[in-house]
Amino acid sequence: MDAAIPAPLPAPPVKPPGIWRQGWYRFRRNRGGMVGLGLVLLVVLVALACPFLAPHDPGDQSAMLRGGARAAPSWLHPLGTDRMGYDVLSRVLYGAPTALAVGLGAMAIASLVGIVIGGIAGYVGGLLDEVLMRFAEFFLVIPVFVVILAVVRLFGIIVVGTPLEKVPHLNLLTIIALLGLFGWPPIARMARAEFLRLKQAEFVEAAICIGATKRDILLRHILPNALPSLIVLVALGIGGAVLAEAMVSFLGFGDPKAISWGQMLYFNYEALKVAPWGSLAPGVAIFLTVLGFNLLADGLTDAFNPRLRQ
Amino acid sequence: MGTLRYILRRLFFCACLVVGVSLILFALINAIGNPIEILLAERPGMTDEIVAEISRYYGLDGSVTDRYLTWAGAMLQGDFGTSIIYNQPVGGMLVTFGLETLKIQVPGILIALLASVGASVLAATRQYSRVDFGVISAAMLGHSLPGFFVGILLILVFAYWLGILPSYGAYSTRSMLMDSEIIDGLWHMVLPVSMLAFFNTATLTLLLRASLVDTLRQDYITAARAAGLPERRVVLGHALRNAFIPVLTYLGILFGLMLGTAPVTETVFTWPGLGALYIMAIQQLDYPLIMGTTMVITVMLVAATLLTDIAYVLIDPRIRLG
Repeated sequence: MDAAIPAPLPAPPVKPPGIWRQGWYRFRRNRGGMVGLGLVLLVVLVALACPFLAPHDPGDQSAMLRGGARAAPSWLHPLGTDRMGYDVLSRVLYGAPTALAVGLGAMAIASLVGIVIGGIAGYVGGLLDEVLMRFAEFFLVIPVFVVILAVVRLFGIIVVGTPLEKVPHLNLLTIIALLGLFGWPPIARMARAEFLRLKQAEFVEAAICIGATKRDILLRHILPNALPSLIVLVALGIGGAVLAEAMVSFLGFGDPKAISWGQMLYFNYEALKVAPWGSLAPGVAIFLTVLGFNLLADGLTDAFNPRLRQ
Repeated sequence: MGTLRYILRRLFFCACLVVGVSLILFALINAIGNPIEILLAERPGMTDEIVAEISRYYGLDGSVTDRYLTWAGAMLQGDFGTSIIYNQPVGGMLVTFGLETLKIQVPGILIALLASVGASVLAATRQYSRVDFGVISAAMLGHSLPGFFVGILLILVFAYWLGILPSYGAYSTRSMLMDSEIIDGLWHMVLPVSMLAFFNTATLTLLLRASLVDTLRQDYITAARAAGLPERRVVLGHALRNAFIPVLTYLGILFGLMLGTAPVTETVFTWPGLGALYIMAIQQLDYPLIMGTTMVITVMLVAATLLTDIAYVLIDPRIRLG
């Protein structure tokens, strides 16, 4: 933008704050957004430090041998033990890295696919735009969750007897890949709108005038300016992916070897009446994580698209 | 003319959607090979001949394309095949279970519509007040609470702790039946409908409040006030109607989301609906049932999207048809 002003004035002594710093100034004033950021940081912290925080080994079932399965919360087991004799608190803490891996992994795939498809559609336009956006709409309207359930179940049978079978946590990886491959359309739509808008911006015209290559225009001029709008969707998507994985696992199609909150609900739901803590603790963990990302996304919307709402 | 062409184009796109979903699932089911072989693998005394005969009975011989075309042709005539596990016509099962799903989904949306109108009028007319902040916070919390977790909490409190509502199923067994069947059915609906209504209300309130706040700032609202209309009529008659337009499109999406996650809802409440049927079908590899259930869910969802799309265009003449 600055380059467009042909003023022979001396350069300002301080560099004006960039798009990210300005966003941060606005974000800081948003109470909900800050709460969301706090919750997200808490989940990240737990995910990094769970081996030090957890009072027991997550695979420790020795409580069952002592007849202590489904025991109510006590000093030894702050959140009780579940149906299988696991310490609930330790399993909930160890569920955090799984949840974050699912959320970040799925959204990394979704962002990559979404930005490439949406970017091409917006920049090239014409028939290609039409075709790509119809394709995106297809994925928006179909019952994604139902299809994912079938794919997870059937893929588990397909891999039997192939080298893929030996990949550790294959089931979880499948879920992550699926959530990513079905989660890109909103990002593609936003990326298309942003690329369409930015390709006519003055600074892009200026870049074309000075002979910047197409690659530079796309990656160095348009993409960084499109990112603030996209990051809102990514934050929302992470929460959505965590929730989706919890639902898939709750229905019994999750990774039996992974420690995930949905998996805990699946194993402990039938003991809800006698040991409610086994279901309540992972449920609250899912809620706080999803709430954190939703509030964060809300704050980011206010910070980066202040015109959208007042 | 433009509207009709638009509707026809949407119809065509929706048909492509349904075909696309059926192709994806059919291809997947075929990728695992013959489901009969997998289902019978551990049964003793299964010879190849028996497997071949059962496969022929369920139309599993012949090439993939042949099978797809046979299946699609029969389905278009209303014949969804026979369930392998239940040995019943899939079509009839879909109707029975589908009605059970709609029985909780439709009230769940309708109650949410009423509740969210109330909440958002309350909040938007008192923007930035404590009431407004409370409504927004509650809606945001409710929107982030995983629906199935709300269901679990409801069961824990109302079925286990207070013991006043049933925790599972749609009907009591005959011997346990105390009231008339209708009252018993309604009694079982209370918790699942509450869970759906809770989530839908939270989401719709967030949208409707934002839209209403926006609408109340428009010039025609100021004009209506200046003309001396009572505030009640300004808000309920003028603002609310216009604020509903952006929410309307979301209604279809929300209904679709609820239908798509019906497997979770119906697992929590052991509700005998399409979602529960679908879970059984994919667990047991009952492929005619998988295809049938997916088709019904997809068609319902696509129909909801199509209806909101059309309603959107008919209600708001400003929409450009693209």
